[in-house]
Amino acid sequence: MDVKNIKFDPESHIIELAKQRPEGISNKDLKENMPQLDLPELTGVINKLLKGGVLELFKSNEELLYKYKDPSKKTTAKGSDNEEKVVYRIIEEAGNKGIWIRDIRFKSNLNMTQLNKVLKSLEIKKFIKAVKSVTASKKKVYMLFDLEPDSSVTGGAWYQDQDFESEFVDVLSQQCHRYLVERLDDAKKQGGSPVMVRNRSYATAAEVHKFIQDLGISKISLSVSDIESILYTVVLDNNAERTTAANGTFLYKATHNFIFPPGLVKTCCGTCLVANKCAHTGSVNPTSCTYLTDWLSGS
Amino acid sequence: MSVVYGKIVSLIIMERFGLVLAKVASFLFKTPDSPLLFIKRGTELPLSKIKESLCILIKHGLVTFRPNKNENLANYSLDSNKVLLMLRYPKYLNFVKKQFGDESEIIIEEVLLRGYLPASELILKVYDRMSKNCNKPPSLSIIKDKLVYLITSKYLKRIPSAENKPVPNLVQNETMMHVLPPIELKTLITYQNDQRTVLPDKNIYWTVNFERFHQDMRDKIVVAAFERKFDEHAAEIIKLFLRQMYVRTEPWSDISNPIPAMEVKDILKRQANSSVALAFFDQYLTVMEQDNSRLLRKAGEASGGSYQIHLKETFTQLVWNLIEQVILEKHDTKAARIFRLVKLKPYIEPDRIQQLAMIPAKDAKKLSYQLYEENFFRIQELRKTPTVSGPVKNFTLFHIELDNVVRMLLEMCYKTLFNHITRRNHERELNTRIIDKKQRVDTILMGMKSQGATPEQIADIEELITPPERVVLDNIDKIMKKLNTVELEVDDTIFMLFIKDCDEYATQRTSSR
Repeated sequence: MDVKNIKFDPESHIIELAKQRPEGISNKDLKENMPQLDLPELTGVINKLLKGGVLELFKSNEELLYKYKDPSKKTTAKGSDNEEKVVYRIIEEAGNKGIWIRDIRFKSNLNMTQLNKVLKSLEIKKFIKAVKSVTASKKKVYMLFDLEPDSSVTGGAWYQDQDFESEFVDVLSQQCHRYLVERLDDAKKQGGSPVMVRNRSYATAAEVHKFIQDLGISKISLSVSDIESILYTVVLDNNAERTTAANGTFLYKATHNFIFPPGLVKTCCGTCLVANKCAHTGSVNPTSCTYLTDWLSGS
Repeated sequence: MSVVYGKIVSLIIMERFGLVLAKVASFLFKTPDSPLLFIKRGTELPLSKIKESLCILIKHGLVTFRPNKNENLANYSLDSNKVLLMLRYPKYLNFVKKQFGDESEIIIEEVLLRGYLPASELILKVYDRMSKNCNKPPSLSIIKDKLVYLITSKYLKRIPSAENKPVPNLVQNETMMHVLPPIELKTLITYQNDQRTVLPDKNIYWTVNFERFHQDMRDKIVVAAFERKFDEHAAEIIKLFLRQMYVRTEPWSDISNPIPAMEVKDILKRQANSSVALAFFDQYLTVMEQDNSRLLRKAGEASGGSYQIHLKETFTQLVWNLIEQVILEKHDTKAARIFRLVKLKPYIEPDRIQQLAMIPAKDAKKLSYQLYEENFFRIQELRKTPTVSGPVKNFTLFHIELDNVVRMLLEMCYKTLFNHITRRNHERELNTRIIDKKQRVDTILMGMKSQGATPEQIADIEELITPPERVVLDNIDKIMKKLNTVELEVDDTIFMLFIKDCDEYATQRTSSR
């Protein structure tokens, strides 16, 4: 290709070259590829590109490298300095899971005080926000301002400001159980063959979901999968059993235990918390045990 | 074998046979397989007393013996499980009474009291007792029929006969175990009049076959479980299945041989009051078969489908249920929830527990470590190789070992029993004076009544016990009743835990023979 005959555009040429080499181009490369440009001219062009944000300057092994930067990703607002740009990009990469300040420090190579300043200024400008994670209460993660935090960070529907709402869960679990029991009773009342009774007493999570929503006990809207996890606790409490339907969804049904509370726990010894320390002699012994006395004098 | 276990054994023997026997028994508990002189040195009792105690213990089947190297000496061991069975005697009696009536109850009671005795003597004893206590004593032939029934249905068994050696080797003739030798009622009647008559079955002794009772108790538990889980009709079907199971399976096997459903249906047809169970017979089978517990499983399609009962698995599940109930009562719902979660997903991380059980992190951690402390859980720790910098993260995984938990619960039961027996003895000791007085008054009253005293005289004597004393007596009565009932209930738990390993139970049975 005869370079001298066509009109030479150094800017587009350099961009082309940088695009071909994502690892960056050095001054030496530029000189080899564009011998016709003299140094001041080249400096002028590169400075222009750097200012426009098309190229980025890196330094490796005492050598300057220019890298191409995709203008479509260029979202950093004007008025930010280079540190802010770097930090912003790291946070952007983390997505809605957020990133911990320690990891930002490692990635950006900024020192603590500087990073704090940068983060604060980004926060003030409402580019990013800090979200407290539920898994570790003291850990703050940063993410872009307009992102909705991931459920692994907020804990989903069961968390309010990193506090697990156990009462809310308990109430829901009770109501789910109640629904299943009512369903079983209904099925029994309607009568019919055992298989029919069984099939009628099965409920899907979607049905329970509808029931819970109609009750209106929840201020926030719950998804069907939220109800599934609540129903799983009912199953774990042995108040319901879960089977898989033909189409792969789960069916729930209220059940009974196999046995009544065993004789062991009908006595105070079976539920005694100091039973390990109890012996024939010593301060905890059956003859002077106050728990036994209370239990025996009770009705 | 634990310290508490040894203590209950000696307490039970003490209660029933007195101090000397308790001493011998607890020595044998500690050092099984000891010869006579060894026992003498360990207990420091006179030889005659030890011999007498061993006789009594052997008679009740509590002590077994086998020849030493020197065949003229015997080594004695205590069968501690049999001792514990003594707590269950009331249950056996109650069961027999309900099932077969009063005569059978007295037959079993006599055998339990004496350990073993020949059939003809047994019949006469029962007759004597019944004619003393009720107005219309049953005839000898009725008692004999009842006895024959008990023997053929294996509630009584023949004890092994001894070979003529210094230390007899006991030989069990399996075929003769449940066959009654002919007893002529005529001889019995002549014996009643003339004690010198020789009874024909003088050397054939009968004793109670506990396994048979346990088998019935086990079936009852299974049927009750099905009734609670499904309904009474399902329970009825299972009951018949169990009955049919014995036709072709050893009673203590883990899994029954396939039982044709048609057979059970035929029996149901003959029963008048089982129309619901019959009408929906197939459906009940489907429901039970498809249930998560999978206790009844289809074995084949031949002749209208045949089913197997998984007894061992049934009991494993019942024991799981029992442990869950214990935790539920002791540590409440949340802990039971965590326990079940760990059961379903063994080797689980604390974080997952908290997520799946939906319990706040702090509580979940507290409860799971509490269960660990109480030995319900075990921990498997995975250590990473220590890195130079940064925090070292270990994984803590929870899991359950059922056998360990069962053993621990058994220990707990033993401890509870021990506590209750000790407490009962203590209460009795505290109030010895009043109890003695009450007994004296009662004997006086009995004597006066038989002499035909006037009501005023009787009232006079009754007033010897003052109202405050009466209150105390009532109170003691209440306490004793409570402790006794609970003792029986704890024994139920022991039975359940014990029976879990049907095969272990069976081997124990054969070794004790």
